[in-house]
Amino acid sequence: MKAKTIFRIATACAVLACLGLTAAGQKHPRDLGPAPDLEFKLVPPVEFTLSNGIRCLFIEDRELPLVSLRGVFKGGSLYEPAEKSGLASLMGTVLRTGGTKKLTGDQINDELEFIAASIESMAGSETISVVGSALRKDFDKLVELYADIVRNPEFRQDKIDLARNQSLESMRRRWDQPMLVARLLFSEKLYGSDTPFGRRATPASLASIARQDLLDFHAGFFTPGNMILGIVGDLSAEEAREAFEKAFGTWPAKPVVLPDIPRLEERADGTITHGFRDTPQGNVIMGHLGVERGHPDEFKILVMNDILGGGGFTARLMRELRSNRGLTYGIYGGVFEGPAGNRGVFQIASQLKADKFVEALEIVKDIIRDMQNNLVTDEEMAVSKNSLINSFVFRFQEKSQVLAQFMGLKVQGFPDDYFDTYIDNIRGITKEDIRAAARKHMDPDRMIIVVVGDEKRFDKPLAEYGKVESIDIKALQEAEKVPAK
Amino acid sequence: MTSRKRMIRALAIALLAVLPAAPFIAGQNLEDKVHVRTLKNGLTVLLVERHGAPVFSTVYGFKVGSVDETPGITGTAHLFEHMAFKGTPRIGTTDYEQEKAILAEVNRVGREWSLELAKGDRADKDKLERLRRELTELEKKQAEFIVKDEIDVIYSNVGGVGLNAGTGTDQTSYIISLPSNQLELFCLVESERIRNTVLREFYIERSVIQEERKQTTDAVPARLLNEMFMGAAFIAHPYGNPVVGWASDIDSVTLEEAVEFKNKYYTPNNCVLTIVGDVYPDQAWPLIEKYFGDIPRGPEPPVLRTREPKQLGERRVRFEFEAEPMLMMGFHKPTFPAREDAAAAVLAQILTSGRTSRLYRDLVQDKQIAVSVNAYSSPGVRYPNLLVFNAVPRHPHTVEDLERAVLEHLEKIKTEPVSDRELQRVKNAIEAQYVRSMSSNMGLGFTLLRYELLFGDWKLYLAYKDLVTGVTAADIMEFAKTYLTPENRTVAVLVRKSAAS
Repeated sequence: MKAKTIFRIATACAVLACLGLTAAGQKHPRDLGPAPDLEFKLVPPVEFTLSNGIRCLFIEDRELPLVSLRGVFKGGSLYEPAEKSGLASLMGTVLRTGGTKKLTGDQINDELEFIAASIESMAGSETISVVGSALRKDFDKLVELYADIVRNPEFRQDKIDLARNQSLESMRRRWDQPMLVARLLFSEKLYGSDTPFGRRATPASLASIARQDLLDFHAGFFTPGNMILGIVGDLSAEEAREAFEKAFGTWPAKPVVLPDIPRLEERADGTITHGFRDTPQGNVIMGHLGVERGHPDEFKILVMNDILGGGGFTARLMRELRSNRGLTYGIYGGVFEGPAGNRGVFQIASQLKADKFVEALEIVKDIIRDMQNNLVTDEEMAVSKNSLINSFVFRFQEKSQVLAQFMGLKVQGFPDDYFDTYIDNIRGITKEDIRAAARKHMDPDRMIIVVVGDEKRFDKPLAEYGKVESIDIKALQEAEKVPAK
Repeated sequence: MTSRKRMIRALAIALLAVLPAAPFIAGQNLEDKVHVRTLKNGLTVLLVERHGAPVFSTVYGFKVGSVDETPGITGTAHLFEHMAFKGTPRIGTTDYEQEKAILAEVNRVGREWSLELAKGDRADKDKLERLRRELTELEKKQAEFIVKDEIDVIYSNVGGVGLNAGTGTDQTSYIISLPSNQLELFCLVESERIRNTVLREFYIERSVIQEERKQTTDAVPARLLNEMFMGAAFIAHPYGNPVVGWASDIDSVTLEEAVEFKNKYYTPNNCVLTIVGDVYPDQAWPLIEKYFGDIPRGPEPPVLRTREPKQLGERRVRFEFEAEPMLMMGFHKPTFPAREDAAAAVLAQILTSGRTSRLYRDLVQDKQIAVSVNAYSSPGVRYPNLLVFNAVPRHPHTVEDLERAVLEHLEKIKTEPVSDRELQRVKNAIEAQYVRSMSSNMGLGFTLLRYELLFGDWKLYLAYKDLVTGVTAADIMEFAKTYLTPENRTVAVLVRKSAAS
């Protein structure tokens, strides 16, 4: 990795054609002239590898007497056995709460909370993270507990039961809000309940998980070669290395085999799925599969998303449906990258005024088609690119963000110089690129459309808009209920 | 009001552990870092230099929130906050002179339409339809002169992030973070906004807020429960009203009423501005003076006279909804800087903060009656408020089981002093929180703003630490005996319709 990268960002003036009046001391921003250039040095983390192969990233931050740790392992819910859906999440929780061979979970809680420190673990779809934070004076204690939790978790049965019971309760409650229900249905429709992406943990799958499953799942992914360990704080690289070597050095390396993830098939076929809910708005998520991580069109898509539905109030979806028409409080969308070599999702989600609901859906489709048929405006291009380029520095505002950004590159397999070329990559995008990307990555006629709401309140029957399949939300909800213990 | 500074006697702080000297810790150091100026028009500005990344964050607030609203116009503080993004006579328009004439018409027709709407069932349907159409036509005409969301465009162009605003019970805040070469642009745009917001697209935005209310309150059981709970806990004081407003008021508030509301409260003498980040005071003060200095001072904001009468008996709310059960319980109490408020803050942490807290350990972890229990002060701090307990039962346990279990714990607090270790844990957490609160530009800005704006001096933030770390076991017991009583209690439960007899 290079020693440092210096970005010089010249701020362009807005491309806004309008005339204004100026009074004394007051003027339009366009009359300010260009701001001074900004120089920003991006200093990447120091990297070192421990004797057993753990890759470490370090950033010195002397501003406050604090230290933070962030460890990431490849692994997660995509890698759990089909019949044990929910295992990764349970492991991620009980890793921290279930204690270690030496200390119970309650003893760890007491030690950490008394010194205002924290260690938390959580499993995502393709990674499991363990993060820790403490005052500088408690650094040794933090590392000692952190390493103990990572290396020797005990997964005591009482905490497994607690986490399982808490999960069962959140399953009961995931039907309480219409948008949460829409998310469940969308994910099932898009990915299928027979794939790791679309499977949901159920009371039955949770019931089948035993303590040994957690121990095995942990052992499968928690090894030095599968760990990236980041640290930022009020200490030197040498102090960090020494502490890590002491805490992790005797942890033996062993190979990790990540199970293959099956490739997703596109199932989107343009159908509308409607589930009844007595709620004042129409809740909708629509879309189909997106792109793989690191797709060659990555930067075209980035700018396209910004113009379509990601860039706050300047985005077309937000401008048309909220700002021009008052049909919603918010509407967001775009084409996104997927985990583990798979395609992500293209989706647009919103909670819309019920008596204009179908009209709003039609406007959304028109907005997508317009981006496929016509070039975006010069002003949209300029604002979007300027926004992405000039706000780039905010990814690195705090030292902890710098660490997180560089760890993200490592974990996701991006090149070390990714940030060096980022701004130029955006600069090179053209209006034609946006149109091409819109054609290639969005298909409005193929989108599955999941609607949760009360059709009687809508401006038109959904059937006039497309092929409708009705889903009985209440029945789904009832089918999940289990006699509680 | 904002310029009346109260000097606080700095109390000696016995630090629990000797922290190594670092460039940016503890109170003494922060006092050196915060530069304060009050301009002639009463605007107070706080500057904090942090030269990490070449960026700064700003948050400025007006001392106005839903607590300043009267019946019929609830939600107006929040509605105006939305309108503040619509531009000025110079920003957001291609020809303000032409636009002004249409705006006057929008105002006239919009008022007539709103007043007819407010008649509810007795409204004249044909008249409503006619006025609505007329208004839509005018909006189309006005749109020809509008430069859409120009404030957003201006800031996006230069790399601004997080342009937003928030309205609460006590204050309304406006935020943006910018690269450090954009300080002058910030001063220009925001001084324009404070000086003269033009309420274009008012009735479209009112519609957005109707949807906001549905999305963030009507579809969210916890929010609805909170709304009903507060309504019961406060029978006189406006803290009982929802910040977003009652649906009927949102439906009928007029452009004129929003302007009137703005004129009362959106004055430099009712405003505090904080800028934290890569800024140099020598360069910043002249810019701030140049742009903000000549905004005319306004009238002093009206004084809220209503006080909540003493509660003389338990109040209960039963809310039936298509969702799993929840419980809220609250007790009236004094607010900052009262000692009782500090005692309540420490008690709340002993009871519900972290996995070693009493209610978590007993009710969530061991008995598993609940999946979560939280205690906090709500809904504001400018006036006496509530210590609230918010708890979620775990099936098959009921809200009644949970209520009993929480009350048992509260009784224990009245009779047995909390342990030294529990107190020490909370104090250590508060000390560390003060260190951590300085790690983000925006976070620090918000904190300084709150104390300066609502209580007249940011240094009270440091004094508060002394207040809470000085709380004793006896203080907590005294607080519990005095305030955690049945007659001072409001309880609200959410239960499923089918379970309701």
